[in-house]
Amino acid sequence: MPNNSRVLLQFVLAVLVTTLVGSILQTQYNLAQLQALGAPMPIDVRVETTCLDVLGFSPVFAILVLLGFACALPMAAWLSKKVPDARWMLFALAGALAIFLGLTLVNAVLPMPTFIGANRSFVGTLGLMASGSVGALFFAVRCRTAT
Amino acid sequence: MIEKARSPSAVLLLACFWLSPASATTDYRIETFTEGLEYPWSMAFLPDGRMLVTERGGRLRIIAASGQLQEQAVGGLPEIYATSQAGLLDVVLDPEFEQNQRIFFSYSYGDRSANNTRLASARLVDGQLQDVKTLFTALPAKAGSSHYGGRIAFLPDNSLLLTLGDGFDYREQAQDLSNHLGKIVRINRDGSVPEDNPFVDVKDAAPEVYSYGHRNVQGIVYAPQLKRVYSHEHGPRGGDELNLIKPGVNYGWPLITYGVDYNGAQISPYTELPGLEQPLLQWTPSVAPSSLMLYSGSGFKYWKGDLFASTLAEKSVRRIRMKNGMLAGQEVLFEELDERIRGVFGGPDGNIYLLTDNAEGRVLKVIPTE
Repeated sequence: MPNNSRVLLQFVLAVLVTTLVGSILQTQYNLAQLQALGAPMPIDVRVETTCLDVLGFSPVFAILVLLGFACALPMAAWLSKKVPDARWMLFALAGALAIFLGLTLVNAVLPMPTFIGANRSFVGTLGLMASGSVGALFFAVRCRTAT
Repeated sequence: MIEKARSPSAVLLLACFWLSPASATTDYRIETFTEGLEYPWSMAFLPDGRMLVTERGGRLRIIAASGQLQEQAVGGLPEIYATSQAGLLDVVLDPEFEQNQRIFFSYSYGDRSANNTRLASARLVDGQLQDVKTLFTALPAKAGSSHYGGRIAFLPDNSLLLTLGDGFDYREQAQDLSNHLGKIVRINRDGSVPEDNPFVDVKDAAPEVYSYGHRNVQGIVYAPQLKRVYSHEHGPRGGDELNLIKPGVNYGWPLITYGVDYNGAQISPYTELPGLEQPLLQWTPSVAPSSLMLYSGSGFKYWKGDLFASTLAEKSVRRIRMKNGMLAGQEVLFEELDERIRGVFGGPDGNIYLLTDNAEGRVLKVIPTE
């Protein structure tokens, strides 16, 4: 078993991976909506907006990811011990569900209908959930390596 | 290129505007005129001195000229979807009210999964609404309970403008002329569409649309001296706007905005794009403008002809000075109340009336003391 501090480090890194991937995906989703309305979207605008969102949006998203992963990843680790063959699937699913449930909770608690723009559509929501899967799988790989 | 940075000359111009002093100090006192209202949203002054007040929860109330609130609400309202930002919204009198006793009111219709804004008219007879007619229904019905717009203003030809919202989750629809989300619409008093509306001949466009690219417009006023329509709208986090409304013009939401999303994300990389109208001024951070009034009374002589915008977030009224048809500075008023202000209205007596936005809402009367 990896020691606790090593696991904690991998957990923090997993949160950061999901936050970064999710932030980049939600920016591209929003820009795609504007592009569909006819807005010009040269590469420098795309890069600058993505960077601004990493600075402005990702700290907020990181809180959601942190709380979601704090519940989901220990549960996935416990289940994967019971069903080792399903380890990757369990972590991918746990990461995705952590984001989905986090978004659902945030939307229920906050006054606005949908807190994150990309969560307004099925595709955007899938993208954010996929970022959860990426982070959870990162955690699964890194912890296994550390074993 | 991202148009965020301003040129030095623009910064200087803005600084002059913001720092421009008020023309003269105006003394006033504020009295509680009426209390016991639940989230009052709008008011209208009846010719006999009484007032009509809407409560967002779905009641229309009458206040006597003395300020006493009539216990019995006006009967005969249609079914209203009232929750969160949805409910009974604006009320205005017909320009020929003394002849026809007709009022116009806006409200939210539908349910949680399918709702939007509706405009109706009715005759006010003995404290009851009669002959209620639905004049306009904003489409499509959308989910959620945010961004209904709802303010009404009459034009000199007795057609009226109704402001609408983008429904929050549907911001891109503000650019689609085939629906009513994020639009200001213009209709006749009988609900028909004026023949000179800007998009009546445009294929697939909703014929009621007067202007588009709005987010949530909760203030509109016609300035008869200038023959202009001014409106303001809520931005997201920052980017509240005061606009000069012209028929057929695109005001840009969400392609351009000076605000960012509540979660810190960029709504758009652009504050300007060709073909999209710029605001006359924008408020960042947000003040949350909730109603707009042009003061034409005689009580406050230095304020005559100025625009007044009540605010929710700033808990104030913004006086926007006008000089020769141009904006000439701002003054923040009534902050001492420390209350969200839902509405600001010029009374026929020359005083200014405010509606406070809470469950124990009040009508406040601002009286000149100089």
